[in-house]
Amino acid sequence: MSVMTDPKVGLIPGPVHDRLAALSRSQAWYGWAGYVAPSHLDSMEFEYFALRNQASLFDVSPMHKYRITGPGALAMLNRMVTRDVAKLRAGRVGYTLWCDEEGMVIDDGTLFRLGEDDWRLCCQEPMLDWLMEAAWGFDAKVTDESHDIAGLSLQGPCAFAILEAAGLDVGHLKPFDLAEIEPGLTVSRTGFTGDLGYELWTAWDAAPALWDRLWEAGRHHGLRAIGYDALNLARIEAGFLTAGVDFQPVLSVERLHRGLTPFELNLGHMVHFDKGHFNGRRALIRARNTPRSLLMRLDVEGFKPAPGALIYHRKKREIGHLSSGIWSPTAKCNIALAHVRMPYAAQRPANLWAEIYTLEEGRWATRMVRLTPVKGPFFAPPRAKATPPARL
Amino acid sequence: MTRFDAIVIGAGVNGLVAAALLARRGKKVCLIEAARHAGGMAGLRPGEGPALAHLVHNLSPAVRRDLGLGRDWPFALTPLATVALAEDGRHVVVDGPNAKLADGTAHPFAAAHAALTERLTRYGALLRNMAETAPPGGGMSGIAMMRQGLRFARTGLSLRAMGKPEMRRFLQVLLSNAYDLILDEMSDGPLAGLWTADAVRGAALGPRSPGTVFSLIYRMGHGGIVSRPEGGMEAVIAALEEAGRKAGCTLRTDTRVARILTEGDRVTGVATEAGEILSAQVVLSSAAPLTTARLTGLDHFDIEATRRLRNLRARGTVAKVNLKLARAPALPGVDLASARMVFAPSAEYVETAFNPSKYGEMSEAPVIEAVMPDPGAASPWLSLLVQYAPADLDGGWTAAARDRLAQIATRTLARALPDLPGLVTSAEVMTPDQIGAATGGPGGHWHQAELTFDQMLTLRPGNGMGHYAFGPSGLYLCGAATHPGGDVMGLSGRNAALRALEDRA
Repeated sequence: MSVMTDPKVGLIPGPVHDRLAALSRSQAWYGWAGYVAPSHLDSMEFEYFALRNQASLFDVSPMHKYRITGPGALAMLNRMVTRDVAKLRAGRVGYTLWCDEEGMVIDDGTLFRLGEDDWRLCCQEPMLDWLMEAAWGFDAKVTDESHDIAGLSLQGPCAFAILEAAGLDVGHLKPFDLAEIEPGLTVSRTGFTGDLGYELWTAWDAAPALWDRLWEAGRHHGLRAIGYDALNLARIEAGFLTAGVDFQPVLSVERLHRGLTPFELNLGHMVHFDKGHFNGRRALIRARNTPRSLLMRLDVEGFKPAPGALIYHRKKREIGHLSSGIWSPTAKCNIALAHVRMPYAAQRPANLWAEIYTLEEGRWATRMVRLTPVKGPFFAPPRAKATPPARL
Repeated sequence: MTRFDAIVIGAGVNGLVAAALLARRGKKVCLIEAARHAGGMAGLRPGEGPALAHLVHNLSPAVRRDLGLGRDWPFALTPLATVALAEDGRHVVVDGPNAKLADGTAHPFAAAHAALTERLTRYGALLRNMAETAPPGGGMSGIAMMRQGLRFARTGLSLRAMGKPEMRRFLQVLLSNAYDLILDEMSDGPLAGLWTADAVRGAALGPRSPGTVFSLIYRMGHGGIVSRPEGGMEAVIAALEEAGRKAGCTLRTDTRVARILTEGDRVTGVATEAGEILSAQVVLSSAAPLTTARLTGLDHFDIEATRRLRNLRARGTVAKVNLKLARAPALPGVDLASARMVFAPSAEYVETAFNPSKYGEMSEAPVIEAVMPDPGAASPWLSLLVQYAPADLDGGWTAAARDRLAQIATRTLARALPDLPGLVTSAEVMTPDQIGAATGGPGGHWHQAELTFDQMLTLRPGNGMGHYAFGPSGLYLCGAATHPGGDVMGLSGRNAALRALEDRA
């Protein structure tokens, strides 16, 4: 469900666009949910290394943000999403998925429990109509906060030190904690990088001041503004999925059978069958032991990133494709997220190959490279979880 | 806590059939009814006069067989001729395939009428085959699947047996509108009016609405013969009730279900409003689908399911008017005592009558079906179904609006029966909103959900709910909102009970 941009309006500036525009040397912009967003401001590599070694600042305001409030909010959300959010205490954030009646993933996102009956859902796809449907018959109110709440994502080993320098005390926040640190400013220890990091949520109009405050505090910590390209490297290293890339949000596909179950995305642990009914539960019970394919993390032989490459079993039978692929500067290997048909995905030793096209100075060539399954994320530094976090 | 094998909610025709069938198959069944009497919508009475349903034309022999009621129903069914009333006195008397004028002369379209009756009856038998079984698919066991497969194969074969041109004609008209079909065969007049009125009775549709040929064919499932149950609808209800009682089914009237209980996505019973817990592994509900979902808790249903349920179209358009007469009216050349009267002087008239209902108004010149359930009485009741009287009348159904409806009905019938107004001593009116309030049937619609293609077969009441099973395991819908629908057929209740038995086998 991509956002249609009104051609007469074009892309519109986000809350800190002035700051980003002033920093942009590469002038590489793309459209994100109707907003102008940077692919990179300088170069992807520069920004990536700032993220992993110092700190990075990324505007996540274009994300869709929905507020769900009311005494029935918990019941409504628990009926919608696959995990048991009753276990999510106030002041906590949970990653979650939600499925259609056939158990196919509609989208994933982070659910913030701001208070007992006060929730915020952040996700990539527009979800207002679905949330309204889900809330019908429940004592819960859904509000689209997408254009009222801005979000800045501060990620990297120096993130905590910068917040401290900015006068924000977040030392007590464990991963997935959230707190209103100052009136009107909520900080959650969350991110899309697998690194130490925080997301700061404030009113749309208050975002420039917040940006300036962080920027000033980050002066001595090598803080850099980054674009999506650097973030994308980090999220693939962390093994995180992007809607529309690593799975097709089922409400927006037009072809049959393009949806995937959480089990097929290796997210079965996010499905809590014991919590009572939730959307798609009956279909998922039937589907849980019969995935059609599996999402795999793969080490790709050689150094050519190969998103989109087809996967073959024994170099012969076509059995899947790579959905995301990069050269990981930190893991120092060529990594990919891939969808591989069963039973080949479960066979060990795996006999998986990718067909890669290379272009070297005007000459195209094709090559079969070996794929090696990798368990767990490609990069998961202990600093991401340490509490209190390192000051560095 | 009282333990049963199965609980059936709602003792309307379908609830009664479902309960009796389950009991006859050795289940310990409790049938719960909120009202003081069984009977549901069909047996609903506006006051002293006859019940809402005054005729039967599709009461299924399959139901009778499965309820062990023998070769004949335990009540007398008097087949009635139909009088298509005409303002000019040239009434048409229709008896099955025969149509003649009331003065005994031949009707100019008698041959067309006979051919059409024969053809639609043939089509009707095909659809009946489908009505008597659950819609295709739905994950049943091997044997049931085979049995159903055979049934559909037979339907397919009979389709083929019609021959290619006839099959083509069938498929051609199936989705079209009654107005075009009928007026292809005869010019407009009381006979065409009668056909189209029969096609749209009970529906929020006009003769020109698509799908009305289908509903007409459905009504022709048993030859299109309308019969008057002697003793009224009460006799039909009593027979079904008795079948259940004989099989050991417990009927609890005056009992309201507060909640349908579940545990771990399985039904465990019901809680009554009085606080009593009745436990059972199987609950069949003839309440409307959304009502049933609410009783169970919406969080037990998928978001798509609740969306479909709340978008079900069910807008009642028929009001019941009972006129108490000083004596039976008379028409020269017609035995009104054993006739159904229909005032629909033309197909055009029926379509025009439909128009105001689209805008929340009652027809100023409605389509009326009139019957004398007990013509022998000294001062008989004339039982009317008056269409169109939409549930959502602008300004609401006030006492004044109901009075006006009774006046309109009397005035309209008087166009063909001039002495009628003088005979009326009192009137009772029951509008769709009251029918809905008394039975819980949404919009007072007698199918609980409009019988149109988007709400039919596997799509009835909605996609993914077309096989009676509904939400948590052990919960079934068995009311008119399921395949094949209402109309005092009893097949929804029967099919649902068979499905529940099949699942537990």
